[in-house]
Amino acid sequence: MMQGNIYSMRETFGRLLADLGDKNKDLIVITADVGDSTRALYFREKFKDRYFNIGISEQDMVNFAAGLAAVGKKPAIVNFGMFLMRAWEQIRNSIARMNLDVKMFVTHTGYSDHGDGSSHQVLEDIALMRVLPNMKVIVPADPKDIERSLPVIINEERGPLYYRIGREYSPPITVGQEYEFKIGKAYVIKDGSDLAIMGAGVVLWDALKAAEELEKLGISVAVINLFSIKPIDESTIEYYARKTGKIITIEEHSIYGGIGSAVAEVTARRYPVPIRFVGATTFGRSARSQRDLLDYYNINYKTIIRETIDLLK
Amino acid sequence: MEKGGGSDGTPISIEELDKLRQVAEKARRNVIKMLFYDQTIHVGSSLSSIEILTTLIFKHIRTDSSLVNKDWLILSKGHAAPALYAVLAEKGYIKEEELWRIQDITGLLQGHPETSIPGVDMSTGSLGQGLSFGIGVATGIKMANGSGRVYVVMGDGEQDEGEIWEAMTHAVVRNLDNLIAFIEMNNFQLDGSTEEIKPKNFLPKVWEAVGWKVLNCDGHDFISITNAINEAHKAGKPVVIFAKTVRGKGFPAIENTHKQRSSPDDARKYLLNA
Repeated sequence: MMQGNIYSMRETFGRLLADLGDKNKDLIVITADVGDSTRALYFREKFKDRYFNIGISEQDMVNFAAGLAAVGKKPAIVNFGMFLMRAWEQIRNSIARMNLDVKMFVTHTGYSDHGDGSSHQVLEDIALMRVLPNMKVIVPADPKDIERSLPVIINEERGPLYYRIGREYSPPITVGQEYEFKIGKAYVIKDGSDLAIMGAGVVLWDALKAAEELEKLGISVAVINLFSIKPIDESTIEYYARKTGKIITIEEHSIYGGIGSAVAEVTARRYPVPIRFVGATTFGRSARSQRDLLDYYNINYKTIIRETIDLLK
Repeated sequence: MEKGGGSDGTPISIEELDKLRQVAEKARRNVIKMLFYDQTIHVGSSLSSIEILTTLIFKHIRTDSSLVNKDWLILSKGHAAPALYAVLAEKGYIKEEELWRIQDITGLLQGHPETSIPGVDMSTGSLGQGLSFGIGVATGIKMANGSGRVYVVMGDGEQDEGEIWEAMTHAVVRNLDNLIAFIEMNNFQLDGSTEEIKPKNFLPKVWEAVGWKVLNCDGHDFISITNAINEAHKAGKPVVIFAKTVRGKGFPAIENTHKQRSSPDDARKYLLNA
């Protein structure tokens, strides 16, 4: 969804979620006093009776959603990623343990809340959600990926699901790509044979940029969109491990327990190859833009190029 | 399986009272008997809850095939699971032999309630979570114009959890007249008396100030419990019933102490004498 020339993750998400409320009469949107910032408010504008602002009470929000799911409603929690983690134990002990149909849509993840600083920048959530039995973890790359996946998740998917998006920053990554979203499936957004870059989210823009630069040096690079972090597409990961023999993972998240770890778990079992992990290793800080933070922490195409040249030595 | 009580508003009859007494007595014996098979169960908290659970399950909880027309029972103080299982066994949901396999690796009955166990409406065990879940269920019922009520049983120690505060205000905003919470005041939490760990004496005032209807009962007296529930049904808003109970009630080895556990020897002594 375009806003002038700017694509926005949360705008696309908020508008589309409100649209999906027309057909899904049981869909309920719940937030902890961040309806405006997450764009959950668009749902309220259309369906006031199916919108609940619980106040600044994330633990209560999670178990409230669990209770609604237990009587057959379709609750969608919409919140800042960081502050939903405050209720991780509630997510574990109620939603995941009872395998309830609660969807959690989180915005402002990674460095996307650039100004607010480290307290708001969640770099651990994929790791925390990935370890939970029954939990699915989805990370779209750009607004186009949101348009592909959200209807499927609302209309067809059942059970606990964690869906991670940022705020505004969303360079076009998958525009013009022809694929349909499927849980558990990875997408090859650029093929190549010397090296595979695997990752998810907005940093795939850096993967594509690095691939473009490396092609100029005669290095053929594949870029894989690991849209579905859990379940993960083991066959595609193995296929590219075999084909290229080298992997670089990139994520706007800690390299401990996140997407890189998930890829390494798969290759260790199925076809071990050298892997380099590009991602966060510490807490964030405030900045004027998300892009500044990605560059400051070396989570960018320059690092990928450097690591590639090092790997190919 | 026997049909649920559902005798709304009617005073308790002598026959009913006899029945409740029999069930509770049997459940109390069975909880203590479980000690022969596993000494790690929370006997103290369980014995504190027997009469409340018996009254709810045998007199008030209405069963229905529809999720929104049935009543829900959420044992938020999940460590009292043995009491719930013992009462559910009397109701025919669980085979009595199954009680002796509690916490056995191949057994049905988990150390804390799980929805995989017949008659269990919420998987609990982590304190403070039941009331919020109950608000979700009660809200869902209202949205569907269902007739179900939600009963949440909590402990006094459990009131330390912040989520209770979050839920307390939430239930009032939601105007849930189909939500009835019990807080068992047995004056003990795991490490000692509530008084020395965190005071609880102000709680009724807080709940009332927030906007709940506050009632009191003797949590071991069926008539007192039933009167409170009948009054709760007429309140027109969320109700909390402070139930005075005794931890380890009826089991001299641990009665009115913070102790949860006891020995098979003490259990044998009790079962031979009682």
